[in-house]
Parts: sequence; C-alpha cells; structure tokens
Amino acid sequence: MSNASSLHARRKARNSVMMTLCMAAAGIGLAWLALILGALLWKGVAGLSLSVFTEMTPPPGDAGGLLNAIAGSIAMTLIGIIVGTPIGILAGTYMAEYGRFSKLTVVVRFINDILLSAPSIIVGLFVYELLVRPMGHFSAIAGSFALAILVIPVVVRTTEDMLTLVPNSLREAGAAIGAPRWIVIRSVAYRAALSGIVTGILLAIARISGETAPLLFTALNNQFWSSNLNAPMASLPVTIFQFALSPYEEWQQLAWTGALIITLTVLALSIIARSLTGRRT
Amino acid sequence: MKPMLSNEIAMSDAIALAPKTTKIEVKDLNFYYGESKALKNISLSLPARSVTAFIGPSGCGKSTLLRVFNRIYELYPKQRADGQVLLDGKNILDRSQDLNLLRTKIGMVFQKPTPFPMSIYENIAFGIRLYEKLSKSEMDVRVEQALHRAALWNEVKDKLDASGLSLSGGQQQRLCIARTVAVKPEVILLDEPASALDPLSTAKIEELIDELQVDYTIVIVTHNMQQAARVSSQTAFMYLGELIEYDKTEKMFTSPGEKRTQDYITGRFG
Repeated sequence: MSNASSLHARRKARNSVMMTLCMAAAGIGLAWLALILGALLWKGVAGLSLSVFTEMTPPPGDAGGLLNAIAGSIAMTLIGIIVGTPIGILAGTYMAEYGRFSKLTVVVRFINDILLSAPSIIVGLFVYELLVRPMGHFSAIAGSFALAILVIPVVVRTTEDMLTLVPNSLREAGAAIGAPRWIVIRSVAYRAALSGIVTGILLAIARISGETAPLLFTALNNQFWSSNLNAPMASLPVTIFQFALSPYEEWQQLAWTGALIITLTVLALSIIARSLTGRRT
Repeated sequence: MKPMLSNEIAMSDAIALAPKTTKIEVKDLNFYYGESKALKNISLSLPARSVTAFIGPSGCGKSTLLRVFNRIYELYPKQRADGQVLLDGKNILDRSQDLNLLRTKIGMVFQKPTPFPMSIYENIAFGIRLYEKLSKSEMDVRVEQALHRAALWNEVKDKLDASGLSLSGGQQQRLCIARTVAVKPEVILLDEPASALDPLSTAKIEELIDELQVDYTIVIVTHNMQQAARVSSQTAFMYLGELIEYDKTEKMFTSPGEKRTQDYITGRFG
C-alpha cells in the first residue's frame, strides 16, 4: 500500500515539475510576441494619422505619408495573387484529383515543399536574373512576379490538402449519377473544399504582404507615386527597410507606422482565415 | 434476344412463373484488387423490376460485386474486372462502354449518406442538368417528383434552398435516393443503405425500396439478414469471393441448399 502511494506521490511531483516547465516555455514564447507587438503598437500608433494614407513618402527631414508605398504593396500583392493563385489551384487540383496515385505528384509535392520553405531572397535573386537583368531596370512587374512565385507553393499546398480532405465517398456519389470527372471536381469537390482553399489564398496574401527580400531585387523602391508597372514601385516592406535604417526621425517614425499597418493587415487576414476554417469543421 | 438462364442457378418456381425478364446477367466474373482476387467466377442473373439482396460476412465480395455493376471501381487504380456483365444483353465491361452514360442507367446509393455540399433542390437538379436541358418550371416538377418518389417531399418542401447537409441522416439518405431516381435510371444499386441509420429511418428506407421495385431493378447489399428477408425477392449468399448460393429469398431463409448458407443465416458464423 505505502509503496503504491509513494509511487503516486512521485508521479504527481514529476507531473507538476513538467507542467511548470511547459508553462514557463509557453510563457517565454508569448512574452517575446507580446513585447514585439507592444513596441510596435506603442511606437506605431504615435505616427498614425490621416496623412499617412494621403501623402507620399517624404524626402529626408520632411513630413509625409506612405500612400505610394501602400498603393504599391496592394498593387504588387494583387498581381502576385492573380498570377500565382490559378497556377497553385490547378497544380493542387492535379495532385489531389487526377494525379493522386501518380509518381509525378510525389515529385511535385517534394519540390513544392522545398519551394515553400525556400528563403524568399533566393526567389528575389532568381527573378532578378530572369527579368530585371534582361529588361535592364527594376520594375513592379518583376516584383509582382517574385511575389507570385511565393504564392504558388502556399496555394498548391492548401489546395491539395483541402481537396484530399474531401471524402472519396462524395466523388463516388458524383460519379455514380453520371457526372464526368471535371464536373465532380468543379461542382462537388471545390465546393466542399471552398473555405479551405480561400483560407490558403488569404494565408498567401498574408505571407507576401510582409516580404521584403524578393522586392529589393525586383521592384526596388520609388519615392514618388507610380502607376507604371514597367518602372520601380514603392512597397511597404522595402520602405520600412529603407526608412528604419535611416538616421532621420521622420522616416523612422513612418517605418514604425508602416510596420504596424502590415502587422494589423496580416492579423486581420489570419483572423478571417481562421474563422473560415473554423466554420468548415 | 436475351441469353437463356442456364441450369447452373436454380430459380425457384415462383420467380420462374413471374413474367420477369433478366436485367443483369453476370457471367464468369472475376475481380482483382491489385494481385488479390476478390471475386471468383461469379455467375448469376438478376430479374428486372425486383429486389435482389447480396448477403455474406465482411470481406466476402458483395460490395465489390455491386461496385462492378456501375464500374465505380474504375475511380481507383489497380482494380480490374474480367468476365461479362450484361445489362439488357450488352456487356458493360466492354471498353467501348461510356462510363458516365452507364452510371445514368445504373444509379447507386452508398452506405453513408453523401449529399453534395449544395441546397436540397440543387442536390437533385445537379444530376438532371448533366444530361437534360430543362426550363425552370420543368426542373421544379422533376425535383418535386424525385422528392415525392423518395418520400421526402413533405419534409423538405418548405426548405428546398436549405443545405442538403442540414438534413438528418435518414433524410440525407432519402435525398440521395431522390437524387439517384431523378436521373431516371433503370437499375438502383444500394450499398448497405440503412446501416448508418436508426431503426425508424431504416424502416422508411425499406418501405421505399418496396415501392421502387415496381419501376426499377434493385440490388441491395446488406449486413442485416432480417432486412434482406424483408425487402428482397432473391438473395445471393457470398463467402470469400464466391457465390455460394442464389435463390428465392423465401427458400434461402427457410431451407437453404447449402450448409454454409444455413450456418451464416442462423448466426453460426460471420
């Protein structure tokens, strides 16, 4: 009896030690996040005003806003998504539907995973060699292209995963009433996986809206308003990068504010993505 | 000309007397999952406009046999059938057979209800739209007919726009039957259609099967022997990929010719 109860006490003690360690680890992890977000809010909100959204990036020492950078980010992100998403969805559809049992799918999935975790600066260098050098100048097109390359693996992955989650019984049911395969995919599988696929696209937007490295080598930056896709274009991440490193106080303040804007945007996208996936299950 | 029934399967007198023609005739059918043989030399014929039940322990091949009739197994690699399955005398295993057209003639309802992720109305209209161009009012009529046929109309007529997934399990299964009936098949395959349902829903499905056999040839796979006895006119007992015995249901359940059939039916194994 006493043996059993001492064993029980030892286990209880060990349990509470491990529990404390786990909670401490979680606490440390969250603390850094809280610190970062806190600092960002503290310094970023201070510079938040209407002029941030209405004025161009200023020359050193002047007041101004981030309008051209915000507009550039939106434009390049949008083009990146428009170009990358269809390719990603089609590839994911092939992998989950037509090529589920083929070797090609295994190879594509492997390469896609590498692409998914590839440092984005490599994608920037790749597009630099592929587009910027032959064209002879930096451009928004090249920037969008680099972002599209980052979008593809995210969308491929989520599309494949979400379509794989659609039960086969649903595909059988579609086939059983005489629906050709492509109709089953379009009208049944896509519909069943819709919220998951949309979530993947939102996550891809979240990912590329904070990317700096691939834009440094491609779209570069532009202090002025530009709607010419064939010319350098400003973006929030690159502007933050440039302004944060500068010795000018106004620029540094705009960098904090820009960082806050990106963070809040990504946060909003993540929340939307989360609520979409939550609704599905 | 329909091929004559050979003497290898003794149909009982009552069935022979009834003016029923053969709808599906299976001849020397073998089925393979990769290397393993799941059906061994199956031959049997299913009369039109009546209910035939396949019974047998798990893994005996009864679902596999059912899945040959609409070639649904072709969705998966490494599954193949050889032999003949004649639908009205035409071999559906032939390469030239169009699979989608075959499946409009031979509908299937699965074990778990599988409503499509769309409204109740669209669940029915989806299949009809694949092969027929109808006006909105014609479509409304067809959808209503199908839901009536599946004894579901009264329960859903006020919420046709609601998601098919919002229905109860038993209603979902009747929706699937309605969807199958809507495309006007000749044969309906039921793969344990009530095994995921409560007794009340099961009773409704069985009632429905009884009504549907007036117009359709029905093949049902079931684990539930009482169900086979209740709904079918013919019963086939399968074991380890072989057809052990096939006869009029009444005979199968009262004086089976094979000892293995009797052992299974009386619960001695399986």
